[in-house]
Amino acid sequence: MKTHGGASLTPGRQSGDKTAHRSPQGRAKKIVAGVPGPEPVLPTGISGEQVTKKDQPKTLVIPEHPPDEPAQKGNAGRPFWSGSITIGLVNVPVRLHTMVRDRSFSFRLLHREDGQPLRYDRVCTKDGRVIPWADTVKGYEVRKGEYVVFEPDELKAVMPESDRKIRIEKFVYYLSLDPTYFETPYILVPDRSEEAYSLLVTALQDLGRAAVGTITLRTKEYPVVVHVYGGGLVLTTLRHADEVTSPHAFEQLTSLPVPKGSELMLAKRIINELSGDFSLTDYPDRYQEAVMRLIEKKLAGEKIVHEEPHPEEAKELMQALEETIATLAGK
Amino acid sequence: MAGNAGREGNTPSLSDLTRVHLTNLDKVIFPALHITKQEVITYYIKMAPRMLPFLHNRPLTMHRYPGGVGGEDFYEKDAPQGTPAYVDIFTRFAKTADREVHFILCNNLDTLIWLANLASLELHVTLSTTVAYDSPDLLLFDIDPEPPLSFDDVIDVARSVHERLEDAGIQSYVKTSGKKGLHVAVPLSAGYRFEEIRAFAHQMGKSIARNTPSVVAEFPHSRDPGTIFIDYLQNAHGKTMAAPYSLRATDGATVSAPLSWDQLKHGFRPENFNIRTMLSGSEDPWRGIFDTRQTIRR
Repeated sequence: MKTHGGASLTPGRQSGDKTAHRSPQGRAKKIVAGVPGPEPVLPTGISGEQVTKKDQPKTLVIPEHPPDEPAQKGNAGRPFWSGSITIGLVNVPVRLHTMVRDRSFSFRLLHREDGQPLRYDRVCTKDGRVIPWADTVKGYEVRKGEYVVFEPDELKAVMPESDRKIRIEKFVYYLSLDPTYFETPYILVPDRSEEAYSLLVTALQDLGRAAVGTITLRTKEYPVVVHVYGGGLVLTTLRHADEVTSPHAFEQLTSLPVPKGSELMLAKRIINELSGDFSLTDYPDRYQEAVMRLIEKKLAGEKIVHEEPHPEEAKELMQALEETIATLAGK
Repeated sequence: MAGNAGREGNTPSLSDLTRVHLTNLDKVIFPALHITKQEVITYYIKMAPRMLPFLHNRPLTMHRYPGGVGGEDFYEKDAPQGTPAYVDIFTRFAKTADREVHFILCNNLDTLIWLANLASLELHVTLSTTVAYDSPDLLLFDIDPEPPLSFDDVIDVARSVHERLEDAGIQSYVKTSGKKGLHVAVPLSAGYRFEEIRAFAHQMGKSIARNTPSVVAEFPHSRDPGTIFIDYLQNAHGKTMAAPYSLRATDGATVSAPLSWDQLKHGFRPENFNIRTMLSGSEDPWRGIFDTRQTIRR
């Protein structure tokens, strides 16, 4: 069976390269950096030690979580922000934890020849020189090539002050909020305020309401909604009204034809027939999974085979083929 | 044992068995069941002994799903660029396309494997062969229900078609469309014209519609809710039907499954015939269909 060694993710690792097996050290460099160099560059979370040991395949697994984010349940890591929910004169101290984790990964760009990572520089478009941070200012382009220039202090002066408060202004029905405006959810955890927190959770839940207000995170003030989810409070930052395009911007959508009664009946019947429960776990990220498997295979020193199947994998196909050929020949 | 050389001979590689260069076998074709292209190809290989006699010299239309079910799909009548030499081609002027079309004929196992490898999930065939392309060798009743009618209602209509044909001394064959309906087919002796068999099927539909309120015999009513249309219009030059044992691009990976009339009882569920349940071991209900070519009243 043919295999195609060309699927290598690390350029420079060619088939027939025997140095890969010469020494454990050489092998580690080979896998990650392409050619033996003075400093093997290893992905975060994998020590050279692990990569070199050939008979320890199970240790060659990429950590499932970014190293700066503990994976365990119950310990959700350091808070991202702490302050309090303020409703009139009442304060409920809370800590804000991140809720969503972007599982998509990124590749680093390497120099094909020596396998070393590339970095980006700030290059002046006029003289081509690399400019250190200290020599930079911020500019806002008002017309092509024309900038209003800001020194760092000038911008600091107008930044909203973070007063460590989630200011609640109103309570609304949660279902009246359209998800179009939802940006990023955070989990609110009581900060030695369990009783007040629990009171708020129960009251909101009983009334089916959510709280809307504002929060200042870093340099920006956001409208937010706080609602009950999974027994706790979740704060979701909202996009500003002018960041979302209204469907009315499209002319066709303002003058849609009224559907015919019989067609509508049929459409509704189809919808009813296809109605069901929806579970996001039914939609895994297959590309992500496939690339992670590729990475594991590469780390284990396997050649990546594509196009033609593994003999083991195609076993059923081959068996069927042999049987069918025999049947057809017997006719 | 004088074994080694001999044993190697017993484990041939894939390229010893087929001329088809298989690609992307791990591609998921039916995402709802996580069925890969390899499983699709394996299915068609297993079904080949039943399919090939029927497909022989019958111009094909491919319905391809390169991205799997739910992805982009397209029909293809013309042999694509790079069609290998083992694929037989039938060149014919097609009125619908207004040009010469190079039809694919699935006349050997490798062609069937090649079609499956192209993700041509559905194979549609004409009702005539290249032997007499203008003369049908099959008469087709395509029976399709509109919701809310159930499959039991379709069975009743198919059975009355069957009975009326039987009364006229004509033997008919039934298969699921693989979707909502049933196909009833009659193998014909040589020399019919499409207009003749179309008129015959239309007459039959009208006659059944007179006695059965849910049945419609005319195309304008074919999509009325709560009706069953006996489609006679498929009996036309260049029109196609899903080949027996062709997969259909449904979530459940259903098959257009030939049945015996005994199997077709109330409670029968067409979705029970799918890529995983079609057993090549059981008897083929359509076996020898072209040994029973018949004449119909013109």
